[in-house]
Amino acid sequence: MLVVVSLSIISLDLNGRTHSLTSGVKSVANGAFSPLREGVVDVLNPIGNFLSGALHYGSLKAENEKLQATVGAFRAEKAERNFENTQLSQVMALQNLPFLQSLPTVTAQTQDENSSNFTVTITIDKGRADGVDVGMPVIGAGGLIGQVIQSFHYTSVVRLITDGQSRVGVTFGNGYTGIVDGQGPAAAMTADLVPPHTSLKAGEIMYTSSLDAASFPPGIPVATVKTFHTGAGASQESITVVAQADLNQLAYVDVVQWEPEPSPVNAP
Amino acid sequence: MSARSIVRLTFVVFVALLVQSTVMLPLRFDGAHPDLLWLLPITAALLAGPQTGAIVGFWAGLAFDLVLPTPFGLSALVGCLLGYSVGAATAAVDKRAVWLKPVAALMGSVAADMLFAVLGAVLGQQQMVQIDFLSLFSVIAVSSIILVLPVNRLMRWAVTSEAHRRSLVSAQPAESGLW
Repeated sequence: MLVVVSLSIISLDLNGRTHSLTSGVKSVANGAFSPLREGVVDVLNPIGNFLSGALHYGSLKAENEKLQATVGAFRAEKAERNFENTQLSQVMALQNLPFLQSLPTVTAQTQDENSSNFTVTITIDKGRADGVDVGMPVIGAGGLIGQVIQSFHYTSVVRLITDGQSRVGVTFGNGYTGIVDGQGPAAAMTADLVPPHTSLKAGEIMYTSSLDAASFPPGIPVATVKTFHTGAGASQESITVVAQADLNQLAYVDVVQWEPEPSPVNAP
Repeated sequence: MSARSIVRLTFVVFVALLVQSTVMLPLRFDGAHPDLLWLLPITAALLAGPQTGAIVGFWAGLAFDLVLPTPFGLSALVGCLLGYSVGAATAAVDKRAVWLKPVAALMGSVAADMLFAVLGAVLGQQQMVQIDFLSLFSVIAVSSIILVLPVNRLMRWAVTSEAHRRSLVSAQPAESGLW
């Protein structure tokens, strides 16, 4: 009996027409549970931080000095790039392409990472009440980190680009395109659908393309090429890539309030 | 199952969910974290048999499904199958055996994770079988052996408190009869 009920619930969840029902239940439950969970975390965090800080005092001090130097370098770089950004925005506007810096973003704090051992996700503290919705891209330090897959009232779940279900259409080099595929947390990401013997170099950055039914706005750095080769008789180049964003620094992320455009309805 | 047991079980599942999402999630070893969920049906099945194990597994799984990004109902399905299987497999075993709880926790948790991953992949979540199973099983095995005792203590309070009381009450006349 319980097995039948479980299977029925799974069917309801996976069916596109009834998914909103299970999603609604999860949303209400998350809305009620999140504040309680946050309360417990607020109590436990200072204790954990104190113990961690006491144990790693030396390395934290060194890391702090390194971060201050990095912030100084970024300030100088930002000042230099202001002029270039203005010009680039104007060019992008002329081409009718959304430029990331002109899109509104919502800054969110990560509540937890990988709530399941079987998915590579993070939960952020912003939801529909803050304008965060399913499908929106999420960026972190250095580039794209993932996409919102579940949006509740006050929280959202983001699937990271390293998750096995993640697919991101990218462009690189001299107008080449491909798909960056997540392979799970234990394996390196790959770039697929790239023609054999495509001219590449290690460290080359891949950006979101406006192709792939425009799942992402164009121009967000996604990954850098790590290794590449074309096997004998292969129909595509074998490329491994690493995320451009630092996926170990996900305390704060930006949700880009950009939704994929609905596909045009075919006229009868 | 009495109303008191249901209330206590609800409390235990809620506490387990809270501990899982606040304490267990940050305890990450090689990318995997301990999982309290499977220990609930395992201990319930050891204490009160396969039916109670299945019921606890279903409701605990459903509660955990509310906060997991995996398909809704999948943990409930695996939880009730796990609870029933552990209860049925250990029906003929002496429940006082010292090795029973750690072995049941280890084997049950690893088997549940395997089933969870395979069923998830069957349901279209291919990423669920693209993980480092060696790390996952190592973490789950060690943590289950450590955590099964406190979870068993909680579950005993929730499931068998009344049965224990009844057995004590029924034992009293027999003992007094000796005198």
